[in-house]
Amino acid sequence: MTTRRFTTACLAFTLIACSGDKTGSNAIGDVGGTVVISSAGEPDFLIQPLITTTASKSVTDQLFLPLAELGPKMDAMGDSGFEPRLARRWTWAADSLSIAFELDPRARWHDGVPVRAADVRLGYDLIADTLVHSPQAANIVELDSVTVRDSMTAVFWFHRRSLDQFFIAAYNVIPLPEHLLGSLKRADLRSEAFAKAPVGNGPFRFVRWVPTQLIEIVADTTHFLGRPKLDRVVMSFTNNPTVAVTRVLAGEADFIEVIRGEQLTQAQKTASLQTKVYGGLDYAFLQFNLRDPKRHSAPNAIFGDRALRYALAMSIDRPAVVKNVYDTLAAIPFGPAPRSLGIADTNIKQLPYDTTAAKRMLDSLGWRDTNGDGIRDRRGVPLRFSIAVPISSRPRQRMAVLLQEQFKRVGVDITIEQLDLNTMVGKLMGRDFETALMSWHPDPSPSAIRQTWTTTASREKGGVNFGSYESPVFDARIDSAISARSVEQARALYHRAYETFVEDQPVILLYEPNLVAAASKRVHLGDFRPDAWWAGIRDWYIPADQRIDRDRLGLTRAAN
Amino acid sequence: MSIPFPANAPRSRIADAGPWRAALRRLRGNRTSMISLGVLVLLVLAALFAPVLAPYGPNAQPDIVGLVRLRPSFAHPFGTDIFSRDVLSRVIYGSRISLGVATLAILLAMSVGTAYGAIAGFAGGVVDAIMMRIIDAMLAVPRILILLLALALSGGISLPMLVVVLGLTGWFGTSRLVRERVRALSRQDFATAAVALGARDARVLWRHVLPNALSPVIVAATLGIGNVIVLEAALSYLGIGVRPPHASWGNIIQDGADHISSAWWIALFPGLAMLVTVIAFNLLGDGLRDALDPRDDGRP
Amino acid sequence: MRRLLAARAAQAVVVVLIVATVVFALTHFAPGDPFAAAVESGNMRPAQRDALRAQYGFDRPIPVQYAMYVRNLARGDLGWSFSRSRPVAATIATAVPNTLLLMATALLLSLALGVGAGLLQAARRDSIADRGSSALLLVFYSMPDFWLALMMVLAFAYALPIFPVSGMVDPVMHEYLGTWGRVVDRVRHLVLPATTLTLLLTAAVARHQRASLLDAARADFTRTARAKGLSAGEVLLRHTLRNSLGTTITLVGLMFPALLGGAVLVETVFGWPGMGQLATSAITTRDYSLITATAIISAVMTVTGSTIADVLTAIADPRMRDR
Repeated sequence: MTTRRFTTACLAFTLIACSGDKTGSNAIGDVGGTVVISSAGEPDFLIQPLITTTASKSVTDQLFLPLAELGPKMDAMGDSGFEPRLARRWTWAADSLSIAFELDPRARWHDGVPVRAADVRLGYDLIADTLVHSPQAANIVELDSVTVRDSMTAVFWFHRRSLDQFFIAAYNVIPLPEHLLGSLKRADLRSEAFAKAPVGNGPFRFVRWVPTQLIEIVADTTHFLGRPKLDRVVMSFTNNPTVAVTRVLAGEADFIEVIRGEQLTQAQKTASLQTKVYGGLDYAFLQFNLRDPKRHSAPNAIFGDRALRYALAMSIDRPAVVKNVYDTLAAIPFGPAPRSLGIADTNIKQLPYDTTAAKRMLDSLGWRDTNGDGIRDRRGVPLRFSIAVPISSRPRQRMAVLLQEQFKRVGVDITIEQLDLNTMVGKLMGRDFETALMSWHPDPSPSAIRQTWTTTASREKGGVNFGSYESPVFDARIDSAISARSVEQARALYHRAYETFVEDQPVILLYEPNLVAAASKRVHLGDFRPDAWWAGIRDWYIPADQRIDRDRLGLTRAAN
Repeated sequence: MSIPFPANAPRSRIADAGPWRAALRRLRGNRTSMISLGVLVLLVLAALFAPVLAPYGPNAQPDIVGLVRLRPSFAHPFGTDIFSRDVLSRVIYGSRISLGVATLAILLAMSVGTAYGAIAGFAGGVVDAIMMRIIDAMLAVPRILILLLALALSGGISLPMLVVVLGLTGWFGTSRLVRERVRALSRQDFATAAVALGARDARVLWRHVLPNALSPVIVAATLGIGNVIVLEAALSYLGIGVRPPHASWGNIIQDGADHISSAWWIALFPGLAMLVTVIAFNLLGDGLRDALDPRDDGRP
Repeated sequence: MRRLLAARAAQAVVVVLIVATVVFALTHFAPGDPFAAAVESGNMRPAQRDALRAQYGFDRPIPVQYAMYVRNLARGDLGWSFSRSRPVAATIATAVPNTLLLMATALLLSLALGVGAGLLQAARRDSIADRGSSALLLVFYSMPDFWLALMMVLAFAYALPIFPVSGMVDPVMHEYLGTWGRVVDRVRHLVLPATTLTLLLTAAVARHQRASLLDAARADFTRTARAKGLSAGEVLLRHTLRNSLGTTITLVGLMFPALLGGAVLVETVFGWPGMGQLATSAITTRDYSLITATAIISAVMTVTGSTIADVLTAIADPRMRDR
């Protein structure tokens, strides 16, 4: 962590100041080189208001700087975890309902025009304007407006005080060039050339996008925070995840963010490759539908009963199933906040794995095998339900087969419904499922849990609390945690909220995977932030003596 | 990969016991076909007696941490898979689903194809033209795409539905074969004579024309089964075929595909079982074609 | 000939309309929509999805959507691809040449190999060479295509990394190579996918060729030729082969759907940016317009393929030429 802070501080000075430093990684000989990043998904757009995928975000973040950036500790409560980028400094109003960001006067768009406060306002407007239908709009509902105080100062106005005010502003609103985009028709933003070939202000500038194949970006050598060490980054994509990994194994690409299973073993055996384990934000669980799938007003005939959910949870040998799927590369979650999140708490009491107790509990609930077919029944209805799982996720498919067998041992019959991802989401939205193997990827904000697990998230149109977990106690604790006066107080409240969650057992928490990246040994990688492995690309470098053909291309543009 | 074989030139022959018996005799004389038939009979027996033959339960997971991916040994001749299940037992049980699904799907496809082709061929005119354009359209899109679409979009699919979907996407070629045969045959003397004698169209079609049109259908069905087995495997491999934990050769291969270099036995054995079966069906189909087509009697 | 072409064109229009209708029905009656995936990945809130659905008209009654679709289709407008965020026509236009390159290479190679093998087998009927090559081809013919492709990747990605296993060109270096360098780069990337597709097709071609040669060998003109005292080899090459060529041309027409089907799989496994890859990714992303368009284009390719075969047959056959 300290090295990263040092590097960042160093970037804040000019390149010349840093190159005098002789600590190795910053020697001038390390400037140059090309990294080919293999990606299993093609970006959709390259401007913040339109992007919907992490592939898009990973490129967009190289082209555009935020006002301030979340630091490696992922501390998103308040502003202490953020480092200045386009903004040189910021000041809170006395009532804490607005923040004024003062821009760094050295910041320039790649066409040479200085970055102004109007650009910040445009970055906000294009998300907030309903004509754009920005997928990010829901993230900034707490923001009232962004105004221009003077050409170098933009002010963010909030509806109310909360611990994530700063996060909402800095993480979601990315300034966009007013002089290029100010006059366009907002409803047509998706078909604007700029949306796919932008002029940014970040450490890299956009070069070309060959659809279905690649995006190329090169270093902005005159960048006010110092040039990135690499000359060029190429993102090479395919829609087949296996092919994406194979490209790295075969040396055709230099980096892939996630590699698993047999291919990971291959990578570890390959002399020219390195692997790197890092924490992610994903957590996976078996979601019970607490409502009747057909009649949403009625509680679910099976899962409506907490004691039954306990019995099911105690039937699963979580350490064994997680070891089978992930070996040592995943941990068992403690609550609805994964370990890498700033608001995580690993001191929550869990239900034990105890099939004897589970069977006893099922017996006492009246679920007994009366007809000797190995499946428990009650009043003629067998204890039988389906687990929906997306075809696209191999780990979750594997998990489903393991759960099926473990449930069978206590007399519960499972059907595995392998669904195309879109179909699955459709069923979840319609609350039309019995149980589902789900995986969430929360954003690092303190209110991520509120957006997922509260009564509001269950009842609002399009809410993502698919299982309809509605606990007034949990809601109250989460709400008071977010609006807490101090970070300590917030942590204590989060702790109690997680305890309530586990007591209610609306889901069986299963695993939080660690991620493993594979890269060519040529490339020296920095630390990865759990929500954004790409956050440190500007610090990656390739030592001069390890370069190959594509590293020696220099900064010249391609012939055509 | 399947390329439809061109229809044999239609010949006039009135259905009676003679040609069929002759065909059977020719088939019996073909050693390759008889060996293939033997292999297939063995496979069907293995599928029928799976509970007796399989050393373990096909879905039992005795130890998901300790006993996974065991090499082939005396206790597990085909090794164990990623869930510690016995691969041999799964391959034996898998033959039930793979053979069963393929056979039923082909039966469905052949019935629909024959009916459709017969109606088109017998009706002729505009009806025939419209019906055949629909067939052209369906044959113009690769079958795997239609299947992917139908299955991916429909959500999770049960075994009977899988049979139906495989069957309903596999009859287009057959209907064309039958239609050509029927058209040729209904112009023949015996059909005209029957109509002249006052027989109703449906009766002529049913009693006189159809039996004569059947031999290419039988050949197409035999060759088609191998094809459907492979298709089912491809779909299961893509995760949209037979539901777990049921074993089909395709989803055993899928379980093993991610572990080919460290646990090759998981994918290899079901792959071999499938290869042998498909080859046997293809050889038998070739034999049947030769047997049912007296021109090809092997003497130039 | 002109009548033949006119009839074929009319037929093609009907076929395309049927394909478009069937695929439209399949996609629009299925649950889910193009924006659902972004919701599961946490990148889009469901309320946003509803807004987008409304903006692009997915919330309207299906007959209305169908009428709009057909009207646009008639104007040559294939629609907008959500997964690619570009017009469908532009997306298809970049993919079609890539697929044609792959298909043409595999078609030519498998014709050459298949006809050669068929010829060899027919000439030396029942010899060890005939039986051996028949057996080998039968194994390839019976082998699941996805399995063969998997094995090729396994062999060439890990065991013998001499050819690139994915993509069409080197993502970085291609732009910086000279003309020859670019050709070599492209050919190197073509080797594995084209070989896989060729292996899958050759067996079928050879089986057809052998059968049609043996048919021709029994025909009267062959007997006459033999009676004139020509050697068996001469007869095979000069008479039988020429007469069985018609079957081969017909075969090429029949091969188009199989070629396309094979391309779907091979492109997916080898990351070849063509129609097949486009089709599978369109299906997984629920990109309605793109799905329908790929189906239409493959139907057009198939109809074109069989029309070319018919025309060639007509040219080769003097009786047809006169009509």
